[in-house]
Amino acid sequence: MAALTGPQRDFLLAIAPRIVPASAQLRPAARDEMLALIEATLASRTPAMRRQLDLFLRVMRWLPFLRYLRPLDRLDGSRQDAALRWFQDHPVHVIRGGFWGVRALLLLGYYGQPANGPSIAYTPSTDGNAVLHARARR
Amino acid sequence: MLERDADIVVIGSGAGGGTVARELAPLCAQGLRIVVLEAGPKLRPDEFTGREVEMARRLYTDEGGFLTADRSMSIAFGRAYGGSTVVYTGTSLTITEPTVRRWGVPGLEHADLMGRSRKYLAQNHVHLLPDADVNDNNRLFERGCRRLGYRVEQFPLNLDGCRGAGLCNLGCPNGAKMGTHRVQLPEAERQGVTVVTGCRADRIEERAVVASVSEQAAGEPSAWAPGQYRIRAKAVVAAAGAIGSPALLLRSPVSAGLPALGRYFTCHPALILAGQHDRPITNYHGHPKSYYCDHFAGSDGFLLETCMYFPFTTAKSLAGFGAEHARMMSAMDRLQMILVLAIDPPDADNRVMVDAGGRPLVRYRFTDGVRRSLVQAMRASARIFFAAGAARVHAPASRRFFIEVADANQIDELIPFDGLRLGKVTISSAHPMGGCRMGTDSARSVTDAWGRVHGVPWLFVADGSLFPRCAEINPYVTIMALADRVAERVRAEWPHLQAHTP
Repeated sequence: MAALTGPQRDFLLAIAPRIVPASAQLRPAARDEMLALIEATLASRTPAMRRQLDLFLRVMRWLPFLRYLRPLDRLDGSRQDAALRWFQDHPVHVIRGGFWGVRALLLLGYYGQPANGPSIAYTPSTDGNAVLHARARR
Repeated sequence: MLERDADIVVIGSGAGGGTVARELAPLCAQGLRIVVLEAGPKLRPDEFTGREVEMARRLYTDEGGFLTADRSMSIAFGRAYGGSTVVYTGTSLTITEPTVRRWGVPGLEHADLMGRSRKYLAQNHVHLLPDADVNDNNRLFERGCRRLGYRVEQFPLNLDGCRGAGLCNLGCPNGAKMGTHRVQLPEAERQGVTVVTGCRADRIEERAVVASVSEQAAGEPSAWAPGQYRIRAKAVVAAAGAIGSPALLLRSPVSAGLPALGRYFTCHPALILAGQHDRPITNYHGHPKSYYCDHFAGSDGFLLETCMYFPFTTAKSLAGFGAEHARMMSAMDRLQMILVLAIDPPDADNRVMVDAGGRPLVRYRFTDGVRRSLVQAMRASARIFFAAGAARVHAPASRRFFIEVADANQIDELIPFDGLRLGKVTISSAHPMGGCRMGTDSARSVTDAWGRVHGVPWLFVADGSLFPRCAEINPYVTIMALADRVAERVRAEWPHLQAHTP
């Protein structure tokens, strides 16, 4: 059974570009890979933690309705950012922590893909010393 | 349940368990059956791929993201043949005399620990990196510290054949890190010790261990078939780490009468800062951790170390999101990184517990002193970055995402004490300690100075959970020295231990 429900996947995809702008340009296969990475991590967590995530995603989606009369995923970009910053900086620890968790999952989904390494100038080598020595000679 | 017999069972194969296994291995020649139970896999050389998420899943509990009960901090610890010695960076410092004095354990002397530590420094090929193998990330840290007059030292490292892959925390793909998986365990097995991987110890009963073997997603097949086992033994050594060992004992009947079990947990809470340079530097090529600064350890309670992490770990460690975050992440070859660690005090309420399912749970409260240390450490790090020539700095507790060099004179205002907001700032730990601390008073400690559990003469602990207070340095060499003592005590007590007939 998938660790994410359909609505959860849709919501995460909707807010991913606010967290990682480059995720808006992901091709379908890379977007699927992003969700697969998130699901694999969630699958290894306890059912209680997955229930907490489900609850928090619902809170994230619907709490902005009180101010904007729309759920988070149907706001424009700047209002989404404002809402996300509100969660990030909330005076209540558990709210901040919940946002941190969702942010971490989306960062995992993007930056955890080895294929995205070159686009951020991350190209490790098993012989890193050869690179060091070559640059030193230049 | 399958029944097995052994003479000595060692639970865990990291710095503690691997050391005990190696030190007791000569007893196999006398016919003793020594078994090491390791929950994680023994990876094949080609399974060290260097891919961040893949290796985190293979080698760490909870992929390196074990969360404390209130989710304020994640703790990274290994789960593999070799334990955390497979995934640490190999920095090999020895405990100081003032720290041992602060530990205050009667019968535990600094000179004794130093003698044993030197043995492991030699066994593990510890040395300083040659200058040609030190990358910019490390050189810039040293330069910045020296310009500011901060004491800075080079880390001795346990490497043999390092090619500077920079992937130490994902398991060295070149087999160059001299952890117990490369040094002590192979020698122990050569002398007749059996290491059973994929084997989780469920509980300790009277002179027996109940354990479960399960198939692992990677690595060599376990020495035992999947199933549940009850292994009778004359002596048991718990070396499952500072979270695993207290949790194991808490799940076991032996925990009765040990009110300090799980308590006084410390962990050197840490966080990462990044400085961005206006040109590429060498950072993820070369060994990531060559220098440390202990200039502020006594005055402000923190340590600074060089570090270099991988894309997801780096991204997660920066605060914020969106365009600014992406800008910092867009050129990882321009990032200089510093890891700050707080020296945290022992608090009886900071503790390892188990939940209703027997899973470990860590309750940890950040003291005002630790929070202050982390903020002061961020300020010092920002100064180091700018002294090293960085154009801008990201400190996760800063009022702004970027502190530009033009604002370097406002560091204290831009990194305020109330900026360290738990739940927002990513705080991690890779040095779990305590939980089965040494001492003479059974009301306030769990073992004696030789790792024997109070009131349970056949049960020993040999890992970082023995620490009565934090080590104030990277702990692995001290763990090996303490484990060496435990093994010596088991050998000395063996005539009495083996006299027991189940």
